Amino acid sequence: MEKFVFFGGKGGVGKTTVSAAYALKSARDGLETLVVSTDPAHSTSDLFDQQFGDDPQPVEGIDHLHAMEIDPDEEVERHLMDIKRSLGSQVSPSMVNEIDRQIEMAHQTPGAYESALFDRFVDVMRNADEYDRVVFDTSPTGGTLRLLSLPDFLQGWIDRLLHKRKKSVDLYEKAAIGNQEPRRMMKGDPIIARLQDRKEMFEFAGETLRERAAFFLVVNPDELSIRETRRAVDRLEESGLSVRGLAVNKLTPAPDPDENGRGATFLRQRVETERERLETLRETFSQPVVAEIELRIAEVKGNLLDDVADELDIPVAAEVPASDD
Amino acid sequence: MTLAEQISEYRARLEEWLRGLYHGMVTHHAYELIEKEAEDTEDLFMLACFPDAFGIPSPVSYYTAELLPYLEDEFEAWERRMWDRESMLERKGQQYHF
Repeated sequence: MEKFVFFGGKGGVGKTTVSAAYALKSARDGLETLVVSTDPAHSTSDLFDQQFGDDPQPVEGIDHLHAMEIDPDEEVERHLMDIKRSLGSQVSPSMVNEIDRQIEMAHQTPGAYESALFDRFVDVMRNADEYDRVVFDTSPTGGTLRLLSLPDFLQGWIDRLLHKRKKSVDLYEKAAIGNQEPRRMMKGDPIIARLQDRKEMFEFAGETLRERAAFFLVVNPDELSIRETRRAVDRLEESGLSVRGLAVNKLTPAPDPDENGRGATFLRQRVETERERLETLRETFSQPVVAEIELRIAEVKGNLLDDVADELDIPVAAEVPASDD
Repeated sequence: MTLAEQISEYRARLEEWLRGLYHGMVTHHAYELIEKEAEDTEDLFMLACFPDAFGIPSPVSYYTAELLPYLEDEFEAWERRMWDRESMLERKGQQYHF
């Protein structure tokens, strides 16, 4: 299994539970594991009954397991403040207001949240040397999975900007007559340097996601969730990311055969429908169903998480040289 | 002043005039043209970086905002040129100094 494992799916299907269970399984196997949650609802903290923050922290009572929770809003704010700080030191006061407006605007666009999240993901992936496995519990916003498929697109965009900037600086250099200092110079141009940095970041992200990451989608046995999953699979495959399997969560438990009350009949029929849905999943998706997790009576926590971890049929062993495919 | 000195002074003056004439008639135009082209390319770059200034959403504006602190001169010149420019013809025609 790859070092980076992503769990996705629409809101409420149980991504946090499944990712935590998989992380637990990996940790139990002796791998240094980090589970990264991006859910603003802080459900990972609830799950382990421990408050996690922006930095990885060991999970109490479980060896080899670490957790962190990313808050994209905080990241957007931090990014904004960083720029404003360098603005203060670089720009004359008369222009600050003008440029300030532009910066504020950029941070209110709908894409800012996703970009911030993406930045943090890349940051975590870049600094994950001490872990053997990093499990990402992606937030339910449709944008996250989309963003994971974006590095190529963004890289192309940055490339274009880089090309334009180089061209104009080159022309300025040519336009400087004799000993005159050109208005812009290629050497030490901060814009080119920054764009280059970003380009490298997107390159790293694209390569890591394509070659060192595995994606799993969490599905509930209902039509809407299945449809949603089909879209997500298509989208990810389109951008060259491989979806390894589907984890079916919240299956209805079957009643004992001798029970015949109203509740039991309901459950029996429900189980029957879900069996058909599972059948559809198996037949129409090329990805295998890697887990069938039954609905629990209460929120999955503590010992229950162990049970769920046992139900996951996802290999945990760290990256082995591909031999079978 | 000897004749030789007179001749060399005359030649020096002639050379300066000729160079000035050449610069005014040929070189300067050429460099001005290149500079204009550089400005136009820079305008395109700025537009590609900050299309939201004109209400066009951009997927990379979060990242290009990082460049703003270093684009003070460009930003100012860009805005001025955007206001000044009445038509493409007018901009391209400036080189003829009517």
